[in-house]
Amino acid sequence: MKISGAHVISVPQERAYALLQDPAVLGRSMPGCDALEKIGENEYHMKMKMVLASMNGLFDGKVRITDANPFSSFRLIVEGAGKIGFMRGNGLLTLAPLENGTNVQYEGSVEVGGTIAAVGQRLLDTTSRMLIKRFFDKLSTEIAASGDKAGSALPA
Amino acid sequence: MATTTVKPETLVGKRIRRREDPRLITGTATYVDDIKMPGMHHACIVRSPQAAARIKGLNIKPALDRPGVVAVFTGEDVKDVPSVPCVAQLPGLRQPHHHVLAQDRVYFVGHPVAVVVATDRYIAADAADAVEVDYEELPAVADPEKALAAGAPAIHPQWPDNTAFTFHQEGGDVEKAFREADVIVKQRITSQRLVPNAMETRGVVADWRAAERSLTLYSSSQAPHLLRSLLASIFGIPENRLRVVAPEVGGGFGSKIDIYAEDMLMTFVSQRINKPVKWVESRRENFLCTIHGRGHVDYYELAAKRDGTMLGLKLKIIQDLGAYLQLLTPAIPTLSVLMMPGLYKFKNISADVIGAFTNCVPTDAYRGAGRPEATHGIERMVDILAAELKMDPAELRLKNFPAPDEFPFATATGLAYDSGNYALPLKTALDEVGYADLRREQKQGREQGKLLGIGMSAYGEICAFGPTPATPTGGWESATVKIEPSGKVTIMTGASPHGQGEETTFAQIAADELGVDIDDVVVLHGDTSLVQYGIGTFGSRGTAIGGTALYYALQELKSKIKKFGATLLESDEVSLVGGSVVHEASGKSVSFSKIAAEAYRPMKLPPNTQPGLVATHFWEPPNFTFPFGAHVVVTEVDRDTGQIAIRRYVAVDDCGKLINPLIVSGQVHGGVAQGLGQALWEQAVYDDNGQLLTGEFTDYAIPRAHMMPWIESSHTETPSPVNPLGVKGVGEAGTIGCSPAVVNSVVDALSHLGVRHLDMPLTPEKIWKLIQAGGRA
Repeated sequence: MKISGAHVISVPQERAYALLQDPAVLGRSMPGCDALEKIGENEYHMKMKMVLASMNGLFDGKVRITDANPFSSFRLIVEGAGKIGFMRGNGLLTLAPLENGTNVQYEGSVEVGGTIAAVGQRLLDTTSRMLIKRFFDKLSTEIAASGDKAGSALPA
Repeated sequence: MATTTVKPETLVGKRIRRREDPRLITGTATYVDDIKMPGMHHACIVRSPQAAARIKGLNIKPALDRPGVVAVFTGEDVKDVPSVPCVAQLPGLRQPHHHVLAQDRVYFVGHPVAVVVATDRYIAADAADAVEVDYEELPAVADPEKALAAGAPAIHPQWPDNTAFTFHQEGGDVEKAFREADVIVKQRITSQRLVPNAMETRGVVADWRAAERSLTLYSSSQAPHLLRSLLASIFGIPENRLRVVAPEVGGGFGSKIDIYAEDMLMTFVSQRINKPVKWVESRRENFLCTIHGRGHVDYYELAAKRDGTMLGLKLKIIQDLGAYLQLLTPAIPTLSVLMMPGLYKFKNISADVIGAFTNCVPTDAYRGAGRPEATHGIERMVDILAAELKMDPAELRLKNFPAPDEFPFATATGLAYDSGNYALPLKTALDEVGYADLRREQKQGREQGKLLGIGMSAYGEICAFGPTPATPTGGWESATVKIEPSGKVTIMTGASPHGQGEETTFAQIAADELGVDIDDVVVLHGDTSLVQYGIGTFGSRGTAIGGTALYYALQELKSKIKKFGATLLESDEVSLVGGSVVHEASGKSVSFSKIAAEAYRPMKLPPNTQPGLVATHFWEPPNFTFPFGAHVVVTEVDRDTGQIAIRRYVAVDDCGKLINPLIVSGQVHGGVAQGLGQALWEQAVYDDNGQLLTGEFTDYAIPRAHMMPWIESSHTETPSPVNPLGVKGVGEAGTIGCSPAVVNSVVDALSHLGVRHLDMPLTPEKIWKLIQAGGRA
């Protein structure tokens, strides 16, 4: 399934780029994600609780960041498998400066398999969109809590 | 001597309520899942979420470590267990070894990878989740045409063309027919994959007793004796130490003829743990792992004269086999070939079948098994030809039927249709529906933008499978009748009914033949230690073959009853009236119950006669039977939503003599429900990666009660000459007649918009898009 969309983050482009690749921030912002644990260069182990249709279960997987092109784009690859099947997300995030922050555009695909595909496929589209929105909402909360503001200086 | 009491009326032909129903509707029937045994363990199967993958690693320790888990078996443990069997053989057939648990690769989503055995079902399920499998994903292909295309991933690496077999059949001179034709119409027609969806999922309880070297296996099966023979040979268990029981079976529709990996796996597990073990399939597993039906892509070419005389038919079938060959998988499309001329006279055919492997669960027999696909094809082609010739589709059909005096009718595919009057049900159905008036209404309605369709099918089918040379499982059937000393009658049939109502129809036949009350007759089935060897219930064979075996067993008993009666009446000048024996000259008689008692305590035995009243008959049919009929469907299509409403559904079916019209109606209704399901709603959808996307009832739309039309069902009765009961079979008729009539009706409703053909299912989305696009399909 193809996914695409855009969200605005209220911090400057360089800061947004750093936040979106910060494992602590990602871990806290990804819905259902417990924590990210570094296992290699730009590669993290992930445990994530997934709820879709009548199913829920833990996914054990990896988050990888590739094709980094500071500060304008990078690719985020999320893969997980658990008792309800497996999922794979692959998205190119493109950042562009705005007056009050950064526009983050994403384009990619989500694939699922196993039970999650057999019984949850029809909800995948809306669920993916909801999860992405929750991710950006959580990210905004994080930003607000940390005192980041549009135009504020990058932390050292 | 007692006065003879002759039963005042016969039961055959009467609407007798099903005698099996009280236990079913009060929830007291015993299904596999109701069986509990001391020390019984429970199994849960770990299944692949990948359609094609290499198993890189398998860690069972987290499962084994859980309290209550007694064993976990993997592919390595079962590598020496023989293949899950396929008994249908074709020349050059490529049959992959179908291990009961995956070895180093998985081939479809749901492929069994490991089995966890625990003291409790919940412990087993939780432990199965703890098994860690590391898959290396491989490219998959789920579409049979894509599987056959150059460069497709090889499902089985040893056969890169993904072709399990090709099969060719021809009759007459099809090239000449096409040369002489005025018109040739061509169409690609699909018959989508369907999930059989028996109400009861599959289940197995295996109970191995090492000290007795014996196995009892309870399985939700349509053919327990076949299952016993196959298991005996696979595991080397003597057949007389192997008991298979099909207890109450909650529907099968063909999907439970198969012997499945799980039947074998539970046998293996019980032998290894020396305890009884139960596995019951979940509904989600049922969608993924029980065989699917249909899965055809067909290419048709029909040649005809300008006056509508059909000359010949060419057909290419691409059969989606799935990843493995189940019991009858490759045979199913060959039945489509046999049925391809439908009810029409033309004698020139050519057919090519290509069996394509895909990364999907195997296909096999599902209600109609090859005949619905063929009937759908020919009946669609006749309508396409009618449109091309601007001829009325009813007229075109009537023109091409053989006449009633042309039977037995030899078909282009080598069959001999037993008896028929094909015009009669079609004319009856058209009269019933008011065909001419509807055509007028359709014409007027179109001027107001209304979309009314009138569609018909004239179907035939091959039933009563069948003569042994044509039936891979064996084609005869058996019956034993025991008359107890008290005059109570016990029938043991080798058929294995699971919804067809033979506990009622067989009791009707016996009650009439012996002149006893139907309540004095009990019909037993489904237990190999109780019933003599039998074949089972599938292919609309129960009554036509099993009923005939019963009939002949009853005749043997009647002739013995007559001998006992003659001895008691001290005269050879006696005759049978039901089960009583009458000496007409004196008016003296001896009752059935008196003879039954006498047979077991004979004061004087008739000459050359043994005591007792037990007879067994095995009956091998000389031919198939060929039921037929016509369904006429009136639909209204909603221009704005694409919804299809069925205004009238008229079914006139001819299944030979009716034993019980109530049960026949039930069969027709159920059959039509499954035909409508295919025509309008049902479809097993795999995505490009081989993921099943329709894995539960929210995504896979089987018709519910409120979606069913009122079915106006009636019958013509053309007796079959193949058996003395004159019966033909009706289990699959409704399904076979339905889908082409519905699709023809909807195409008819949209024909003035330029629609010529629609592939099933006719979902509102599909119809709405078509109307929005101006009708050009």
